[in-house]
Amino acid sequence: MRREPRALVWLSSLLVIAGTVALIVVAIVVDDNHPLSTLSPVGRQGRDIAALINPIFIVAGVVFFLVQGAVLALWWRYRVSGSDDGDGEFGYYEDEEFPEQVHGNNRLEVAWTIVPTVLLAVISVFTLVALFALDDVEASDEELAVTVIGQQWWWEYQYHLDGDTTTPPDIVTANELVIPVGVDVPLDIKSRDVIHAFWIPKLNGKRDAVPGRSHDWVIQSEETGVFRGQCTEFCGLSHGYMKMVAVVLTADEFAEWRDNQMKPADVPEEGTAAAAGWETFNQQCANCHVVNGLTSAATRGGDPESPPDDWSIYGEFNGEDAGPVHTEDLVSGAAPNLTHFITRSTFAGSIFDLYLDAGEPVPYLELSERGTLNRGELEAWIYNAPERKPAAADELRGMPARTGLSPTDIDNVVAFLSTLD
Amino acid sequence: MTVTDRTITAPEETLALPAAPAVVRRPLGVFTRPQGSEGWQSWLFTVDHKRIGIMYGAAALFFFLVGGAEALFIRLQLAAPNGSVIGAGTYNGVFTMHGVTMIFLVAMPMAAAFANYLLPLQIGARDVAFPRLNAFSFWCFLAGGLLLTSSMLIGGWFQNVPDGGWFNYAPNSGLLFSPHKGIDFYAVGLQITGIASLVSSINLIVTVLNMRTRGMSLFRMPVLTWMLLITQFLLLFAIPVITVALFLLMFDRLWDANFFNVAAGADPLLWQHLFWIFGHPEVYILVLPAFGIVSEIIPTFSRKPIFGYNFMVASGIAIGFMGWGVWAHHMFTSGVGPLAVAAFSVSTMFIAVPTGVKVLNWLATMYGGRLRGLFGGLHFWWPKVFGYILDERWGKAAFWVILIGFNLTFGPMHILGLQGMSRRIATYRADEGFAFWNMVATIGAFAIAAGVAMLLWNIYKSTRDWRRAGRPAVGPDPWDARGLEWMTASPTPEHNFDREIEVEGQDEFWHRKYGQDESGRVVRAAPTSEIAHDGSNTKVHLPSPSYWPIVLSGGILLVGYGLIYNLWLVAAGMVLLVGAMYGWILEPADDPEAAGHHEEHDGGHDDGGHDDEEAATLG
Repeated sequence: MRREPRALVWLSSLLVIAGTVALIVVAIVVDDNHPLSTLSPVGRQGRDIAALINPIFIVAGVVFFLVQGAVLALWWRYRVSGSDDGDGEFGYYEDEEFPEQVHGNNRLEVAWTIVPTVLLAVISVFTLVALFALDDVEASDEELAVTVIGQQWWWEYQYHLDGDTTTPPDIVTANELVIPVGVDVPLDIKSRDVIHAFWIPKLNGKRDAVPGRSHDWVIQSEETGVFRGQCTEFCGLSHGYMKMVAVVLTADEFAEWRDNQMKPADVPEEGTAAAAGWETFNQQCANCHVVNGLTSAATRGGDPESPPDDWSIYGEFNGEDAGPVHTEDLVSGAAPNLTHFITRSTFAGSIFDLYLDAGEPVPYLELSERGTLNRGELEAWIYNAPERKPAAADELRGMPARTGLSPTDIDNVVAFLSTLD
Repeated sequence: MTVTDRTITAPEETLALPAAPAVVRRPLGVFTRPQGSEGWQSWLFTVDHKRIGIMYGAAALFFFLVGGAEALFIRLQLAAPNGSVIGAGTYNGVFTMHGVTMIFLVAMPMAAAFANYLLPLQIGARDVAFPRLNAFSFWCFLAGGLLLTSSMLIGGWFQNVPDGGWFNYAPNSGLLFSPHKGIDFYAVGLQITGIASLVSSINLIVTVLNMRTRGMSLFRMPVLTWMLLITQFLLLFAIPVITVALFLLMFDRLWDANFFNVAAGADPLLWQHLFWIFGHPEVYILVLPAFGIVSEIIPTFSRKPIFGYNFMVASGIAIGFMGWGVWAHHMFTSGVGPLAVAAFSVSTMFIAVPTGVKVLNWLATMYGGRLRGLFGGLHFWWPKVFGYILDERWGKAAFWVILIGFNLTFGPMHILGLQGMSRRIATYRADEGFAFWNMVATIGAFAIAAGVAMLLWNIYKSTRDWRRAGRPAVGPDPWDARGLEWMTASPTPEHNFDREIEVEGQDEFWHRKYGQDESGRVVRAAPTSEIAHDGSNTKVHLPSPSYWPIVLSGGILLVGYGLIYNLWLVAAGMVLLVGAMYGWILEPADDPEAAGHHEEHDGGHDDGGHDDEEAATLG
């Protein structure tokens, strides 16, 4: 009989386990700056999910190491080295000592059917409890509900301050969802074109935005701050560039923000660059972008009560009937409502920062403390958006290029946008 | 001393058909069946399950290299933040084609290669039940695969490539959102490969149920045969579901139907349900053959029978049933409602039980065994297929490089997912913190590529060395294995077995080689050379080759392109297709001058008493 190198078995198993643990530790240590991390939730729902998966992960980890350890240990314990193998070749050789020809063991089979079943049954109970809890909405004083509408490739938020999503919205904004801290905000998630998925990993799980359907979801944060999100259902060309942000404010800050958002934009002073920019904006941008109080149906050449008639995914498409228009959804026109553009911290589907050196979290209302306007990126975006973010503008999906604009025109438009506070 | 634990009483019989009435002699006109058993024609027109299996394997390898190259482009694009190696549009096309290729054009045909080659051998059959249909399966698969792959080239590099993801969710797959022809290629190409899979599954199910050799009851079949049988049943029921979905999509895109048109009242979740009712069983379609392969290799090299055979088979069947009840776990975020999510969560968890049973049975097989190295299926059956062994050192080196590369590639993806990186994004911001593990994954992907290169080099080198050494024979049974496929010469002769094998239990071949003495010790009962067939009986009646399977597939290919580009081409394809059907029906069942045909039906000598003699000698 060959002597069993038992120490080696343990050493090798230990090495593998230690290596894996080390890798996971490295992963967590390196995990110092992941704005989308699911591992450090701050929302009530996110924490519920973490409270479910962390113990399951540990159980699964134990099972994993037991099974992998068993594979390694059995391989090491029962392996036959080449020299022990007669001529070193595989196959038949003389005087081989065979192991006992065991065909099975019913008790063992029953045991390793029942043990995992019981384990999973226990996990199932906790899973079901957590699953149903995710749909609960805790009532609060704030009667706020937000309709979230995904479209290629940005998000629109329609705020209903009475909590009734069937009435016309009080505030329409884009890409940055502003909510008060500690409040469960019911979301009504929809889509205007293809399927998207709304996901702010630190706050809650994913929920798809499916055209023709309306999905209830809820979002809550225990802490103030800025939390990033990403569309997480493949939605075509610029899917990767469809991001969003949740900005969580204190109750007072939120009230201030809300009151400001309700105001229409101010008319730019005549003779200023902003006024010239408004002119250009009306010609070049207002067909799709709404600025409350400054753009109107007149500037878009249509009826103020209806969306622009040359744009809709499910409407007239280049003059051809492509089905009914979801007019009730189209309060934004066809692109983000820009009424309070300059109060946001990102633009272009939250792929660019609107301010440089802003740090996080951005104090939402203190514009003076926000850092420098990211003017270069903003100008480049206005001039040739598809170059900065892939778009199929010729198919009316994404922002078209405006390469006909002169540098002065663009300066003026930026000046105009800077007044939209 | 009783050496063998049992003896074989019934004589082995030749694999002869009943003597046929005199066949009509030439000329058969256009319906003459193909001649010659060598050269390219012998491959194009073959109906031999082994050649078809080899062609499935070669095609899978080709598509694997295509899909692997796509993977490397994906990894290059994602290696660093703000990647600009390929643009977002190309990226979407590349990851879609990567997924479609790896699943439909690599994993499925690779399983089909093993199934075609090994399944008839493992049940002691001469061929599959419908040899011409088998050839048609392969050529039809190849037609679908080439049609899909050609989308990368037609009309410009990656201009008309499917770009909706392998799951191709509606309505993003509609004409409005993907106006170029890529998704037409997807819808048509996968319908064609679906026909191939469906035909093949029926063929293999009939083969297992009807073609088993004498005494090979279902519960004496090798575990691999069982897993392949379950896989074929999954295909039989799953392929029609995806075909319906693709058919509807095709009508939407080509003829303005409204199956997935939200504006006309459609619910896009219809596509998701259809896709995943196919798609989740598909997961088991891909993994069950692998489970079967592991279940063949571990006992061979543990020098023990598989532990808990009945439970192994039963857990496979359980997976086959439970696999139909978990599809909506792919749709947890799509708003199917908390009750559905709860039900499918629970069913998904419990499918882990039969899967775990399999793993634990493998461990139990290893326990107490004498492990003499482990191979993947490719290395294990290579000598049976080609008659020589792949180099062991290069094989081990490639194994370690691929193992490490695989974990370096896919391990980081799990970490990245937890860190919040979404799938299918063309790039990411630098401040999202995804750079480190993406770079690791990219390095891992290139390590896999290096490992695959080593594997290919090993195939080349081993072939060259074997030829230089004067093509030494490897013998029928190089690993001292257990299945019937090892009971005939290597490479397998065209007619598989010289004589019909009478099976008396599981691992029949093993029990002919080994018996037990009084003390229960395993002892050699007879040398392999006396048990295994040497392939000398060339008089076994074989099905004749046929022109029509490949012609019929060519018709389908034309119809496919026609649907995408020009309906006149459909007409031309239909003419070819229907013509080939008539040719198929009208060609003589038996052409005495065709390749592989052996005129005399009375086979070789019958040495069925062989085992009795052996027992007597040793006794």
